[in-house]
Amino acid sequence: MPIRTKKRKGVSILHIEGDMTIGTAAALKEELMKHITQSSEREIDLSDVSEMDSAGMQLLMLAKREATRHNTPLRLIGHSRAVLEVMDTYNLAAYFGDPILISRGAKA
Amino acid sequence: MSANPNQFLQTFIAEAHERLQEMEEILMHLENGPHDAGTIDSLFRAAHTVKGSAGMFRLDSIVSFAHIIEDVLGRMRDSEIEIEGDLVAVLLDSCDHMLHLVEVIAEQGEQLDDAALARENELRKRLKAYQTGNGDAQGTRVSLSAEKDIPLTASGGGEVSSDNWHISLRFAQSVLKEGLDPLYLIRYLSNIGEVISVTTLADAIPAAAEMNAETFYLGFEIDLKSSASKETISEVFEFAHQGSMIHIMPPHSKTTQYIELIRSLPEEEARLGELLVATGTLTQHELEDGLNAQQKSAQPGGTSKLLGEILIDQGSVTQEVVQAALEKQSQAKDTKTKESRFIRVQAGKLDELINLVGELVIAGAGANMLAHLSNNTPLQESTSVISRLVEEIRDSALKLRMVQIGETFNRFNRVVRDVGRELGKDIDLVITGAESELDKTLIEKIGDPLMHLVRNAIDHGIESADKRVALGKPEKGTLRLNAYHDSGSIAIEISDDGAGLNRDKILKKAREIGLIPAGAMPTDQEIYNLIFEAGFSTADTVTNLSGRGVGMDVVRRNIASLRGTVQLDSEPGIGTTVRIRLPLTLAIIDGFRVGVGKSSYVVPLDMVIECVELSEAERQAANERSYLNLRGEVLPFVLLRDHFEVAGANARRENVVVVQYAGKKAGLVVDELMGEFQTVIKPLGKIFSNLRGISGSTILGSGEVALILDVPSLVQQAVARESQQVLRKLPNNTATAR
Amino acid sequence: MAKTILIVDDSESIRQLVSHILKSAGYDVIEGEDGKDALTKLAGQKIHLIICDVNMPNMDGIGFVKEIKKSDDYKFIPIIMLTTESQEKKKLQGQAAGAKAWVVKPFRPDQMLNAVSKLILP
Repeated sequence: MPIRTKKRKGVSILHIEGDMTIGTAAALKEELMKHITQSSEREIDLSDVSEMDSAGMQLLMLAKREATRHNTPLRLIGHSRAVLEVMDTYNLAAYFGDPILISRGAKA
Repeated sequence: MSANPNQFLQTFIAEAHERLQEMEEILMHLENGPHDAGTIDSLFRAAHTVKGSAGMFRLDSIVSFAHIIEDVLGRMRDSEIEIEGDLVAVLLDSCDHMLHLVEVIAEQGEQLDDAALARENELRKRLKAYQTGNGDAQGTRVSLSAEKDIPLTASGGGEVSSDNWHISLRFAQSVLKEGLDPLYLIRYLSNIGEVISVTTLADAIPAAAEMNAETFYLGFEIDLKSSASKETISEVFEFAHQGSMIHIMPPHSKTTQYIELIRSLPEEEARLGELLVATGTLTQHELEDGLNAQQKSAQPGGTSKLLGEILIDQGSVTQEVVQAALEKQSQAKDTKTKESRFIRVQAGKLDELINLVGELVIAGAGANMLAHLSNNTPLQESTSVISRLVEEIRDSALKLRMVQIGETFNRFNRVVRDVGRELGKDIDLVITGAESELDKTLIEKIGDPLMHLVRNAIDHGIESADKRVALGKPEKGTLRLNAYHDSGSIAIEISDDGAGLNRDKILKKAREIGLIPAGAMPTDQEIYNLIFEAGFSTADTVTNLSGRGVGMDVVRRNIASLRGTVQLDSEPGIGTTVRIRLPLTLAIIDGFRVGVGKSSYVVPLDMVIECVELSEAERQAANERSYLNLRGEVLPFVLLRDHFEVAGANARRENVVVVQYAGKKAGLVVDELMGEFQTVIKPLGKIFSNLRGISGSTILGSGEVALILDVPSLVQQAVARESQQVLRKLPNNTATAR
Repeated sequence: MAKTILIVDDSESIRQLVSHILKSAGYDVIEGEDGKDALTKLAGQKIHLIICDVNMPNMDGIGFVKEIKKSDDYKFIPIIMLTTESQEKKKLQGQAAGAKAWVVKPFRPDQMLNAVSKLILP
C-alpha cells in the first residue's frame, strides 16, 4: 500500500508515499522489512513522503542498519522536505551517508 | 485574520453574563429544592470559567474576587461546608457583585467606585467565613526541586574549557505514544540558544524483529551555546521529564561530572568518551583528568556518588500520578447542562441583515408592481415566485432575532425573592408561556417596565402575610408572569392575587387633579387605567419600592414607544392583572395600503378586520352621531382626511377600514383601498414625534413615502371621541328621561 | 500544508483567543465546546495537536483525553491540557490519562505558542 517497488538496472527502488509517522510506523515497518530482507541492491525513494516524525526516521535508521548487516547497499534518494527537516535536526546525514541533492537553502 | 482584541473581550463579557446568570439560577434552585453533585459542579465550573477567562484578559480584580467564590464553591462541592440560606444569600450577592465588576471593569474599562469597593470588602468578609483557613491550601505543587544543584563534595579534577552547555537526553521509550516527539524539543532548543552539535545515538534500536515501530529508542548528546539559565533549558524538556533521563551540564562543569554522566548513560563508556571528545565537549586531556580524579575520590568512600548532575528524579511524581488517577475514578461524573448548540452572532450583523432584507422587500415590491403594470405574464409569474421567497427570507431573518421570553421571566425569581424578603412577604412566582418568542430588541427594552410592574405588584398588590391570613387567603402570595401570542402581537401578563386597586380612591384622586370631568361616570376599567396617567400615585405611604424608579406613566410611555399598549384589570380582594401587548417585531410589518387624497398610508395588516364601503347615507348620519353603524354595531371612527388635514375634496366614494386593537374596534375612513403589501418600518425623525396617529414611515416600491398609521392611538382617539360625544349627550338624555 | 490543532474549551472567549493565536502562527484550528462536541468534530479529520480544558460540561478534559487514547486514529496525537494554578491535581490526572503537556491559565500568547512548538511546528 504505501510502498511501491520497481526495478531499474538491477536496483530495486522502494517508493514510499504519504506519512512516515507514529500513526503509520507499525504497518510501514512490516512492509519495509519484507523488502529489506531480500538481498539485492536497493534505493528508497523518499520524494513523496509528506510528513515525517521520529518514528519514521527510526524506521529508516533500522533499514539502513539491517541492510549494512546483510551487506547489501541501501541508498536514500529524493529526500522530501519533511525527511530533510528531521535528518537535519538529528544530524543524521553522515549516518546514512547518501548524497543529498537538495541544498539546505532550497528546502524552505 | 484581523486581530481585534475588543471582539474577544465582547465575547468574554457575553459569556460572563451567561455564566453568572446560570449561577444565579442554580443558587436559587439550591435554596428551594434538592440538589445533586452535578448541579454544584456546574456552579463551581461556571465560577471557574469566569475566573479563567477573566485571567486571560488581565482583569485582575475580577479574577481575585472570582477566586474567592470559586474557593467557597469548591468547598461546597467537596461537602466541606453545608448549603444553607446565609451561604446562598452571600453567594447570590457575590454574583451580583461579579456582574457589576464585569460591567464596570470589562465593559466600561473603569474602576470600582467607593461604594462598590465597600460592598466588595463586605462580601469578602462574609465569604471568608466559608473559606478554608488559609485560602490556598489545595493543590500540591510539583516543582523541579529535584534539579537543585547538589554541592560538589568530591575534590580533584579541573573544569571543562568548553563554553557550551552539554545536554544529554535519553527519553522514556513511551514518549512517542504519549504524543511527545523529541524532534520538536531539540528543534525548540534553537529558540533559547545556538545548537552547536547534535549527536544522535541509535545504539538502543534493537534487532529488526524486536523493534517496536512506536517505541522511541534514540539518544542525544547536544552542545548548546546559550546565555539561558539552567531552569530555562530544563523547562524545554518539562513535558518529557517523566521517565526520561535528562542531564544538563552548565558550561565549565567539572570534568568529574562528565565522567559521572558517562557512567550513568546506557551506552558503552569508551564510546561516549570518544563521542564527547569528537564533538568538542571535552578535550582528550580533560577526559583523562576526569577519569583519574574520579577514581581517586571513589576509592575511600567505596561507591561513587552522582555529583552535580541534574537528573530529574521522577519517582515521587509517578506516585502522585497514580494516586490522582485513583481519586479521579471515585469522583462524581460531570452532568450535562445544555445540549442545544448556538452560534453567537454580533447583534449588529443581524441588524444589518434585517435592514438588507428590508430593502429587498421594498425592492421586491417595486419589481412586483412594475411586473403587474406590464402585460408580461411570465414576468409576473416569476416576480411572484421571487416575492414568495423574499417573504420566506424575511420571516427567517426575523426569526433569527426572536428570543424566548423565559430567560427574562426567570430573572424575576430573584427579584420576587429579594423584594419579598425586604418587605417580609412570602411570594411564589409562577411562570407560564416562557417559550413565547419576541424580538430581542423588545426583550431588552421590556425589562425595565416589567421590573417596575413586578415590584409594584409585590409592594402594593400583595398584602402582608398577617393581613392575608385575616382575609382568609393563603398566607403565601402568588405572582404570575404569563406570555402568549395573540394576533400578531405578544401579550405579557403580570398578575397578583393581592388586594386589587381601590377604585374609589383612584376616582377621588382623579377628580381632584381634574383627570375626569365632574359629571362623568367612567367604567371601572377606565378608572383603573387612570393610574397610568402622569403624576398619578395611590400609594398611601411611600415605601422603599414605590419611591424608587419610574412611575406607571413612564411604564406606559416606554411600552407605547415600542408600539405596544398596557392595560390593567383589577378586582377588589382578588387581585390585579396588568397586560402588556407588544408587536412581535419592530422591523417589518405586513401592511394594508390605503389612499387619502394623493397620500398613501399603511395600516398594519394584523389589525385590519375588514373593509367596507361607506355609503353616502351612512356618512351623513355618521357626521351627526359620531359613530358608524356596522351591521347594527356601534363603530367609532376617524376620518383620516380630517385627521391629517389632507387637502382636496372628499372622494366620491369612501371606504372604511375596520381595525381592532386590544379588543376595541374602530373604523378608519379613507378614499381608496390599495391592497396588502409588506413593508419595512423606518422610524420617523424627531420632528414628527408629536404627530399623533403615525408610528413610522416606509418607502414604497415606486419610491414614494407612505406613513404607517399608529392604529392603537387612532383607535383610542376614536373611542374617546365617541364616548365624549355620548357623555356630552348624557345630561340631555337623562333630563328627557326624567 | 498547515498542521491542524483542535482546541476544546467550554469558554468561547478562550477558544477565540487561542484560535486567534494559533491561526496567526500559521496553524489551522478546529474548535470544540466540550469533550463530547470535540469527539464529533474530530471524526474524519486529520489532527496534529489537541489543546483541551479540564473543567467542561458533558465530558470533561480528563474523560476526553481517555477517549482519545482509546481511539486508534488519535491515540498518538499530542495533547496540551489547559490548567489553572489551583489544578495541580487535575494536571496530574491529565498526565495519567495521557496528556503530557500543559499550559497554565492565564497564559500569554507566546507561552501558548512555546508549548505548542515543543510538540509540533506549523
